[in-house]
Amino acid sequence: MKVEIQIDPSLEEPVVVLRTPSPTEEVEALAARLRGEAAPRPFTVYQERETVRVSRSMVLRFYAEGKGVFCQTGKGVFSVRQRLYELEEELAGTRFVRVSNSEIVNLDRVTGLDLTLAGTIKMTLEGGTVCWVSRRYVKKIRQALGL
Amino acid sequence: MMLIDDKKQAMIRALIGGLTGAALLLALVWVLDAMPWMSHIWHFRNPFAVWAEWLMDDYGWPSPSLPNLCLAILAGAEVGVATLPFADSGRELVARSLVHFLVMSATVGLWAAVNFGVGELPFFLIPLALVYVLVWLGRWVGWYAEVAAIREKLGLAPGPSLFHWKESLPYVGFAFLLCDVLPLALRVCDAPDVPVLVGLLLPYLLLPVGSFMSGLSLGRRHGFCPLYPLACGVFFLPTVFLLMNYTALPHCLMAAVPALAGNLAGAARRRIKKGKEADAP
Repeated sequence: MKVEIQIDPSLEEPVVVLRTPSPTEEVEALAARLRGEAAPRPFTVYQERETVRVSRSMVLRFYAEGKGVFCQTGKGVFSVRQRLYELEEELAGTRFVRVSNSEIVNLDRVTGLDLTLAGTIKMTLEGGTVCWVSRRYVKKIRQALGL
Repeated sequence: MMLIDDKKQAMIRALIGGLTGAALLLALVWVLDAMPWMSHIWHFRNPFAVWAEWLMDDYGWPSPSLPNLCLAILAGAEVGVATLPFADSGRELVARSLVHFLVMSATVGLWAAVNFGVGELPFFLIPLALVYVLVWLGRWVGWYAEVAAIREKLGLAPGPSLFHWKESLPYVGFAFLLCDVLPLALRVCDAPDVPVLVGLLLPYLLLPVGSFMSGLSLGRRHGFCPLYPLACGVFFLPTVFLLMNYTALPHCLMAAVPALAGNLAGAARRRIKKGKEADAP
């Protein structure tokens, strides 16, 4: 495959154009990767000593409770062996963002945002799960969304 | 409760604020000394001589002006750290802001009492409280814009308008009828010698009940809408001056306070109902 980089100062952000004689699987996969849609590897979570593989898009949030870290999906809650900060590092640059000291949420599963008078943001996820965004982490959400 | 998380930053800011407070007061003393009280000519003397005169009496003892300098340093330090307690959100923010307000009020109150007497305290403390409310309002509008931008980027519905002004609009029409049209209609029906309807029935029954019930309905539908009680109070102003006189100005509160109480009650009911719905399986 021939790769060519053209510098154009008039552009506001990088634009990638794939020129191909026919839409092959390889080109589709490359386009998906460029759009950030590449299928990331699923998470390994646990339910009563059983290992379960959960795709990232299914995850609503990761949260710390007591001494454990849990993964909530639409189908239930699973335990996770990683610490929250390890998950945060692993998920950096994705749609998963830390919103408080104890929670990382999947921004693609957010269904509502409400601002309280005291500045806290109430975040509602699919299925009605509610989590609270600390103002200290609003900057991270803005960065993740490119604001 | 920790008022401030970053103590080092707080110390630096307090120091800079305190020095700025002292510098501003000393500069004011110097300029006031140079003012042309009896002529048109400004007479600037050596500032150190002016400050020495101001701070010490003829025998070299500290003069009664010294507490002013201490309070200026204290107030400057408090202003210097003013933004730090507001870095967080939720209960922490409310508690920290209240503590800062109380400390600042104590300083300003002491300064006002020393220089102008205790009777003048409201003249200083009410504007100070308004400044805090304005600062909070400004911050809230900023937060609102931030959340609106995040909502848009996530592709969510826009959410309620700023202070629910759009949601309050239909009720504002009712407030206008209650506070302006109804009094005029009652005036037409009132007896010319004893205006029972406008003088008694309106301010002590119709106005409080009407504004409370409408505030309650608005609160149940849209939550806390702070502009509605304000609108009720403001709408009654023309009635005061058209049908009554300035002594009836407190009647504006007979519209605003019940509207606020009703709105808060409605918002609380809405919150409880939503909580029950969320808990339901």
